[in-house]
Amino acid sequence: MSQRGAVTSEPPQRAGAVRRAIRRASFGRYTGVAVGLVVVCVYLWLTEPAFMTWSNWENIIRGQSVVAILAIGMTVVVLTGGIDLSIASNAAASAMVLGLLVQDGWDWWSASLAAIGAGTALGLLNGVLIGFARIPFFVVTLGTLSIFQSWALLATNGETISLFSYEKFTPLEKLINGSTGPFPNLLLIVGGLYAVGIVLLRYTRFGRSVFAVGSNPEAARLSGIKVSVMLVSVYALCGLTAGLGSVALTGRLTAAGPNIDPNLMLTVVAAVLIGGTAFTGGDGSLVGTIVGVLFLGVIQNGLSLSGVSTFWQGTVSGTILIAAVGIGVIRDYGWRIRLRERRAP
Amino acid sequence: MLLIDLMPVTSIDTPAVQAPLVSMTGISKSFPGVQALDNVDLTLYGGEVHALAGENGSGKSTLAKILYGFYQPDRGEISLAGERVALQSPRRAIELGIAAISQELTLGPTLSVAENVLMGRLPRRGGLVDWPKARRVAAEALDQLGVHVDPNERVGALSIELQQEVEVARAVSAQSRVLVLDEATSSLSETATLRLLEKVEQLRRQGVAVLLISHRMRELYSSAQKATILRDGRLIGETPLPQTEERELVRMMVGRPIEDLYSKRTLGFGDVVLAVSGLSTHDGMVRDVTFEVRAGEIVGVAGLVGCGKTELGLALAGATAHTGDVHVRGRPVKTSSPRGALRAGIGYVPEDRKRSALFIPRSVRQNLSFAWLNILSRLGVINVARERRLASETASRFSVRARSLDASIAELSGGNQQKVVLGRTFALSPDVVVLGEPTRGIDVGAKSDVYRYVQDMAEQGKAIVLISSELPELLGLADQILVMHTGQISASFTAAEATEEAIAHAAMAETGAVEMSA
Repeated sequence: MSQRGAVTSEPPQRAGAVRRAIRRASFGRYTGVAVGLVVVCVYLWLTEPAFMTWSNWENIIRGQSVVAILAIGMTVVVLTGGIDLSIASNAAASAMVLGLLVQDGWDWWSASLAAIGAGTALGLLNGVLIGFARIPFFVVTLGTLSIFQSWALLATNGETISLFSYEKFTPLEKLINGSTGPFPNLLLIVGGLYAVGIVLLRYTRFGRSVFAVGSNPEAARLSGIKVSVMLVSVYALCGLTAGLGSVALTGRLTAAGPNIDPNLMLTVVAAVLIGGTAFTGGDGSLVGTIVGVLFLGVIQNGLSLSGVSTFWQGTVSGTILIAAVGIGVIRDYGWRIRLRERRAP
Repeated sequence: MLLIDLMPVTSIDTPAVQAPLVSMTGISKSFPGVQALDNVDLTLYGGEVHALAGENGSGKSTLAKILYGFYQPDRGEISLAGERVALQSPRRAIELGIAAISQELTLGPTLSVAENVLMGRLPRRGGLVDWPKARRVAAEALDQLGVHVDPNERVGALSIELQQEVEVARAVSAQSRVLVLDEATSSLSETATLRLLEKVEQLRRQGVAVLLISHRMRELYSSAQKATILRDGRLIGETPLPQTEERELVRMMVGRPIEDLYSKRTLGFGDVVLAVSGLSTHDGMVRDVTFEVRAGEIVGVAGLVGCGKTELGLALAGATAHTGDVHVRGRPVKTSSPRGALRAGIGYVPEDRKRSALFIPRSVRQNLSFAWLNILSRLGVINVARERRLASETASRFSVRARSLDASIAELSGGNQQKVVLGRTFALSPDVVVLGEPTRGIDVGAKSDVYRYVQDMAEQGKAIVLISSELPELLGLADQILVMHTGQISASFTAAEATEEAIAHAAMAETGAVEMSA
């Protein structure tokens, strides 16, 4: 360490063995979870003959596709240090737009585009309130969680729109539920969206600014990044993925219903956090989010294959969430709590 | 009271030979990738101020943190008054009579001043907090330090400087046996520093053992009787102060002699690059400030805390709302946002590194490139190869010491972090560079590097505005020094006519005269 000059390397040191081992083993914040996922998969492979079959994996992929799509937008929002609590309500409202327009005789693709546009607009509303009006994200998205849900219910007075009989809708249903060769189309779509997302975060000015704003908004502003514009676009992007998710959801169910699974938003947030994205923003990745989404899917699948009561699912996924984030904390801070090294939220 | 001249305190009443109050032996501590301390000893006596000297990354702060229970050593023993103790937490240290003031604030921002000063020892009566007494005791503690704040005020509403003074009041009023000052003065004004050191001297006379860490040599020489020197986590030696010459002390700290910190530049100045006229900020901290900076010129801005020099820098950086005209190379520019100021060619290095400059936990490379996104991208796509090249060029040009460019910026020492911050601003080659306290909390080796880079920038024909509370730094570097008082420029000196006394007088506006120079 005595030399001055450019970048020098230093020898590894002793002490803090557990923390060091965790650090060394990891090439990203999600490594621990990825290892856990592999262990669970191997266990299920050995104990459940039905697990390692292509049709079972197709089930997992289809089942997690909506969560996976929504988790893209959520990851970006969490990277800026926020959370979009309204994401599932937004998807419900966007799905109603899609359903109503198909009912009105629109083509599947124009109705889908409108639904994606509606999702983006609702996200933009969140963004404007957060970025320009400077209302805390928690308050804004908690409010719009109720508002968007309410709009979705108002659209049909709470009725579900069955799209089964609409000819113009059939191509979308086939697209979403069909396969290309051995691959479910949904896998290709979700994979494509993640590829776009990863490139966006890594190689564009927008993506870099997301990390900058998330790790230190004041420094980002002084570096010439328009923080408020970034926040508006990030929540709009999250709305966009809610719109995309609503199309996938509606295609899978061949129906548009205003009563979305109340756990969907929480599952999405859990997947993002299990995937190693920091709750406080500034650190994380979409690759980690994929791991988080798959982990939750495999657990759910494994429990039902093993015939364990579905009521146990919450216990298992909740424990995984706390353990995954806990490992990250130990990795970053060591075993002992050191208050001053933590950044205030 | 002369503000600047901290006279060495003669230690008339140092007790004769006695047992050490604190003895730390064989202390080792490592962090991932760094052996912070390697078999270090430290002995403190009651009634003695003991300086801990060393560069950033030398381990002095780690040693201090072990003494007040913030870190646990991997190996080594600590004895307090002859008894072996385990300091598992700062709370345990406080119970044993070891109080600390550190660089980072540890206050509860939503609590009142009184609650903070008496944190953990609020006076009680009948099981309930005795609020009138709490306020009285807190007010007394603050009064002793010459700080005038309402004990009922919420700490979060105070300025950073006042918060630091509340922190000081808490530690010195705790009636402890050992007081650790870990860069406690780095964000205090000169007057507040002086008051703190007076209080420290008073505590010393009462038999308290004081461990003093400061980057300001003057403070070490005026207050301490001994210095322990650390370098790269190893004990270099213990030496009496002020008998040891500063040059010798620095050589022990750095391991090599440091040449004159400020080399004189010989180039003349060019045309006016930055012209500011009638600048006032909306918050009223800066009022009607007018000055010019020529190419190759370093203009220093001095003044007490709260004089508006911080806000002047923020206004030029476009970070605070203001009125008035700013011209760069004769062209009027819009400094209504940091982005606008950057476009206009005004680069800014913020005063508060951690709060306003560093992207934690991002990598060194990204800490550089986040400020370069505009020049690195085309149609919104980052040229990653160029990013890597520019980042490694900048890191080596500014001799940044890091494990790798992909290491988190949080792993670097303060001096290296500052070099990254300077590097990212300088690499953009702005016409004007506004520097806010560029050497705050960094060691003497890094300081001399920073001074060299600043002078290099000036020689390249840039206009430099150097906002600093370090008078030696202003006197050594600046070609012209503006002194601010209550938001206005109260005096202006050329390098030849400036003295610490004259600047101090103008900073307190004792002359009353407002001179302006073109």
